[in-house]
Amino acid sequence: MAHPAQVGFQDATSPLMEELLYFHDHALMIVFLISVMVLYIIVCMITTNLSDKLILDSQEIETIWTVLPAITLILIALPSLRILYLMDEINDPHLTIKAMGHQWYWSYEYTDYEDLGFDSYMIPTQDLTPGQFRLLEADHRMVIPVESPIRVLISAEDVLHSWAVPTLGIKMDAVPGRLNQTAFIAARPGVFYGQCSEICGANHSFMPIVIEAVPLNHFESWTALMLEEA
Amino acid sequence: MAEQEEETKNKVSASKKFTVSNRGAVFAVFQSEKGFKLLGILDVQNTLCARDAILHGAGGSVTAGLLHFLVTSRVRRSCHVGFAGFMLTTLGSWFYCRLNNAKLRVQQRMIQDGIKNKIVYEGTVLDPTQKHGVQTPSGPS
Repeated sequence: MAHPAQVGFQDATSPLMEELLYFHDHALMIVFLISVMVLYIIVCMITTNLSDKLILDSQEIETIWTVLPAITLILIALPSLRILYLMDEINDPHLTIKAMGHQWYWSYEYTDYEDLGFDSYMIPTQDLTPGQFRLLEADHRMVIPVESPIRVLISAEDVLHSWAVPTLGIKMDAVPGRLNQTAFIAARPGVFYGQCSEICGANHSFMPIVIEAVPLNHFESWTALMLEEA
Repeated sequence: MAEQEEETKNKVSASKKFTVSNRGAVFAVFQSEKGFKLLGILDVQNTLCARDAILHGAGGSVTAGLLHFLVTSRVRRSCHVGFAGFMLTTLGSWFYCRLNNAKLRVQQRMIQDGIKNKIVYEGTVLDPTQKHGVQTPSGPS
């Protein structure tokens, strides 16, 4: 999860997010170099003694400042498109979970093997125990097995919502009447937080997403327990 | 509870501290417990290959500018050459380092998958290390 005053990305949990971080560093270095170049040009323009009022055109400089930006854009676009298409790949998921957005909670359905479904409400601030995070904790977490491809089908029952988990590199709109699909692999165990990312009413800020990635045997125990309680 | 709030406040204030360079312009922003950010955007310490690329760029810039000045004695032109050297050296070092790192990551993933597959398929019919056609004895002769 994010730490206070964090500006940058969270550490990646899925391979896709690792690729996104990699691409972000690449684009940022290009942006940094362009900024340095602009700064240098400004300093040169301020400190120059030369002034020619009769310059009409210059083919050489025009060619340079057309070709170089084109090359720069290609250097940014190629890895970007690669990741874009990588994000749309769905490679034989082991588990499919349906995440439904409601006002103002999420519900999860595990219907692959048994009929398991539950709601996930935010834990109010006054009910938090020491060590829990304000506005991020939920009463029921979405538990998944670690290192397994998971497919999530996202929709909504009432208004627009958005299912987002930054550390997994996932954000998908929950649209009523539409089923959106996304997939991910949690490469490490842990608890990962996200928040609704589409304005959906008064309690839009109070419907978090909590994912708990556990080893497969723990996941099986959890599903057995949840089915017993249901 | 009050102590926890104080600790949280101290951590937030510590993470927001920054120092301004001597020239009065903010060219570098320091954040405690975080990296050193050039121009406030590029985290040189925590971004892979960034520190090496910037250092190589600085070295290339000084070398190119100095050599040009020694040959031509033209200060302004030498500054331009030095700047061009910085850009080219930084870019070259950056792409070289990132390319090698990407190859390493691909190898790492292949090794990880190989280890996982070995564990999964060891002892089964699909195990490639098992010799095919070897018959196991059916019982005591």
